[in-house]
Amino acid sequence: MNTLKLTLLLTSALALAPSLARADYPIGHLNDFSGGTADVGKPYGQGVDDALAYINAHGGIAGTKLAVDATDYGYQVPRALSTYKNWTGANKVVAIMGWGTADTEALVKNVTDDQIPYISGSYAGTLTDPTGKGGPSSERAAPYNFFYGPSYSDAARALVQWAADDWKKKGGQGKPKWVHMGANHPYPNAPRKAEEEYAKQLGFEVLDPVVFALTPGDYTAQCLTLKQSGANYAYLGNTGASNIAVLKSCETAGVKVQFVGNVWGIDENSLKAAGSAGNGVVFPVRTAALWTDKVPALALFKDIAKNSDPSGTEYKPVHYLSGVCAAFYLKEAMEWAAANGGVTGPNIAKGFQAKANWVPKGTEGVCKPSTWTAEDHRPTLSVDLYQTQVTGPTDNGTISELIAKGTMKLNKVATIDLPRKKEWIGY
Amino acid sequence: MATQALRPCGDFKSSYATDQTIFPTVWSRNFCILGVLLVAAAPFLVDRYVLTLLIQIGYLGIAALGLNILVGFTGQISIGHAVFFGFGGFASCFLNNKAGIPPILSIPLAGLMTTAVGLVFGIPAARLKGLYLAIATLAAQFILLDFFGRAEWFTGGSNGTVADPVSLFGFKFDHDESFLYVVLFYVVVLYVGAANLMRTRDGRALVAVRDYYLAAEMMGVNLTKYRTLSFGISSFYAGIGGALYAHYLGFMSIEGLDISFSIQFLAMVIIGGLGSIMGTLMGTAFMVLLPQAVNFCARALDGSAIDHALGLHEGLPFLREMTIGAAIILFLIFEPDGLAHRWKQIKAYWKLYPFSY
Amino acid sequence: MDLHLLFQLSMNGLIVGTLYGVVGMCFVLIYKASQIVNFAQGEFLLIGAWVCWWLLTKYQLPFVWGFLATLVFMMVFGFLLQVIVLRPMIGEPVISVIMMTIGLSIFFQALMKWIFGVLPQPYPPVFTVKSVDILGLQVQTVYLMAMAVSLVIMVGFAWFFKMSRMGLAMRATSYDQQVAQSLGISVRQVFALSWAISAMVSAVAGVVVGVVNGVSSALSFFGIKVFPAVILGGLDSIVGSVLGGLIIGVLENWAQFADSQFLKWGNLYEVAPFYVLIVILMIKPYGLFGKRDIERV
Repeated sequence: MNTLKLTLLLTSALALAPSLARADYPIGHLNDFSGGTADVGKPYGQGVDDALAYINAHGGIAGTKLAVDATDYGYQVPRALSTYKNWTGANKVVAIMGWGTADTEALVKNVTDDQIPYISGSYAGTLTDPTGKGGPSSERAAPYNFFYGPSYSDAARALVQWAADDWKKKGGQGKPKWVHMGANHPYPNAPRKAEEEYAKQLGFEVLDPVVFALTPGDYTAQCLTLKQSGANYAYLGNTGASNIAVLKSCETAGVKVQFVGNVWGIDENSLKAAGSAGNGVVFPVRTAALWTDKVPALALFKDIAKNSDPSGTEYKPVHYLSGVCAAFYLKEAMEWAAANGGVTGPNIAKGFQAKANWVPKGTEGVCKPSTWTAEDHRPTLSVDLYQTQVTGPTDNGTISELIAKGTMKLNKVATIDLPRKKEWIGY
Repeated sequence: MATQALRPCGDFKSSYATDQTIFPTVWSRNFCILGVLLVAAAPFLVDRYVLTLLIQIGYLGIAALGLNILVGFTGQISIGHAVFFGFGGFASCFLNNKAGIPPILSIPLAGLMTTAVGLVFGIPAARLKGLYLAIATLAAQFILLDFFGRAEWFTGGSNGTVADPVSLFGFKFDHDESFLYVVLFYVVVLYVGAANLMRTRDGRALVAVRDYYLAAEMMGVNLTKYRTLSFGISSFYAGIGGALYAHYLGFMSIEGLDISFSIQFLAMVIIGGLGSIMGTLMGTAFMVLLPQAVNFCARALDGSAIDHALGLHEGLPFLREMTIGAAIILFLIFEPDGLAHRWKQIKAYWKLYPFSY
Repeated sequence: MDLHLLFQLSMNGLIVGTLYGVVGMCFVLIYKASQIVNFAQGEFLLIGAWVCWWLLTKYQLPFVWGFLATLVFMMVFGFLLQVIVLRPMIGEPVISVIMMTIGLSIFFQALMKWIFGVLPQPYPPVFTVKSVDILGLQVQTVYLMAMAVSLVIMVGFAWFFKMSRMGLAMRATSYDQQVAQSLGISVRQVFALSWAISAMVSAVAGVVVGVVNGVSSALSFFGIKVFPAVILGGLDSIVGSVLGGLIIGVLENWAQFADSQFLKWGNLYEVAPFYVLIVILMIKPYGLFGKRDIERV
């Protein structure tokens, strides 16, 4: 009885095996459209999807198309790992567009062994050290891990810097208090050490972190304790959906704290959901321009967006732009590899490191100049900080309408240029 | 009747031993051995993708068998199986990383450690039954998961912990092709073990507890002992499954050990058939292949009119979850005895074809 | 010890606890009538909140009408669910029935995500005054409404079960199904009605939470949170479930207090109810008000 079952199983499994065309460059794309970080995973993943489709529609990489296998792994590490195993089978992928912190960390060893460049949506500081001995806090080498934007730790340091300046500017007396908020999960925890250490250096009093889950909920209790602790600056480490739940609960609880957010902490979608509670949050933006800015290169991005939104009227949030940028960096690295010995993992990695302060062709003014070297994978240390502004009710109308009317706005408040310190590599 | 009808003419049982044999006929045993050999040959026949699925079915099947011993054979309900699975994984990594015990030994040791934890949870649980036990294990699920998230010394905290590949005399089982044999070994040993357990006095006692606990008690079965024991055995299987999983992925974290994973184990057992050892493997295979089948169907429909009308591509992950929910519902309504029962009926039908009387 | 904070947290606990109480009440209603432990209770909140949100934003209905339409929809939904899916399960073992409701929960959670997306959506403002000050704590108006509605529902339940014919029939059924049937009570009707009422009242809680925090899949977690509440109160006591809800609500907040002031664990708030659950099951499994017919084995 077992044989029949097994043969059945084998044949059905065989039939299900995905067939990728051989002649193309296989690319894996791991996204989260349904899991814990789907709120931000969706715009970013869509950006990557659209950009890759656009690249294929416009000649691919030096005439060869990309065979993109996009898989939604629901923010589950095991599913990411098993997907990775599929991708490294007979038809090995040459590069992967990845996503979350936990799964990227779990895959560092694999991609290093298999020599597959991995462009993650995680900007954890641990991914920035290609040699494993860059700085005193380096834990391991991650020579095949890349990402586009400031690392979580550097973005958090920039926020600390801004908060220190802000405190001085407002004439605050005594030691300002800094508190880290977020779930007990690798992603919110990633910058905590760097952030709290830097805050102490700049004269902050660092309070015990406030924990709240990665899912939305009623966080009045947490807000009341936050209020009682007398914190002045609170860092929101989670993604949009749960952060806005905190912002809303804190608004009603009457908490007067300057909130600062992670890169994924707030965006136009969550701002709309947060309404007036989302007013005044400071957070880093990875691109030099927003969707509605007047930058010539945005025409390209709008062309790309037609892939998922043929009408071309939809407003695309900051994560979408970053997704497109990340995909275009990969595109140029692959083109460099095609011209310098063939599109293989190691060559693509070299392609990333071939130039300094570079921007993919056609995206100038949107994607920010980035540098990767063989010793340092921190693409940029210049962090643009924006502040949200909500002037009216946000429940009526789409995001494009609200932005057009000026009900919701993102205002640039500062650009913090951090020094490229060697001891900051790797955490 | 179905099993009897399958027996060749003149094959009568003349002792209790033959009545309890695992394989009722010679051929059923031969087929089983053939099946194992076929899986053993799989690395030479099929690609990595199929191997991944086979390995998944293997380690999940081991853990699911543990749950079936608890739910199907002893009649206790557990909605917290995933945390025991997780405990096994963490324990093995802990033994390996901190105590330097090689994975080949740390996997069975992790199983024993999980047994100990299962017994601890089983002692109070033995005082509860049915519904209340279900809710107690639900609480255990949340409490243990929270413990894993904070116990950095043991689990590496929220960051998780790395796991070395299994190795024997310098040979590393770090690829699907080789790891399959490790999983296959455990599957065969543990499934044969479970089949034999059910033939012993203790196994029959478990079934007696399930069928009617009062009657069992009157016949001298110590209820507390067997309920606790059943928790322990179930945890052992879960622990081994979890440990295999950790060393297969090379990484163990609390992610994915949530309540929906526990529910998946329950679904495997229900769909496979409560109280059926072979059914457990079928149920596991079903649950592992179902999402793949949904993917496949959605891919086949990609770009068609149905795809546009329903937005299949966008909704694929949700569709996968929905089919899992729907599979549970439909099985409970139409085939409450699971795949094992359906399989028996199919066999009986063909055995008697075309005179099915 | 910061007594002010403790006081505020306790107040907050009572408010949230009322909601747990309402959901707990619905849960107990189903259990009492049909002996089914409903793991899909949280999905009732979710579906109710999404449907109401959809009516309000898509058709721009005034809140009252949208809300009433939602209640009617949920009533029909609960009724159909019982008739189509749960009726075949009568007489099946506990594990099967539990799995059935779990299956429903998985199915509807995914369906809601598919239809309405994964982003939390805000409700249009329902009240002109968003929050009022009660003894130093800013309380959302909608919570006050929720408390009022819950009280009305609780009084309504009391009347229904004490006075009305149907209510008496339901009580009789929960006491002994066979006797009830022989007295001419349609047990099938009672089952279906209990699901209909439970779904409807859960939707009230769903809408309230939706107005406060926006609608998102997190709503279904109420279905899990309700277990500690109903076990504490006693699985078959409606009064107990309300009280259990209040106690769990306050306890959660006290846990947060103890955590932030002394323990510094970080997430005691989320797991404390489950510790309580285990303790109750060990020492008093029938809860504060439940019938003492649980066999200890």
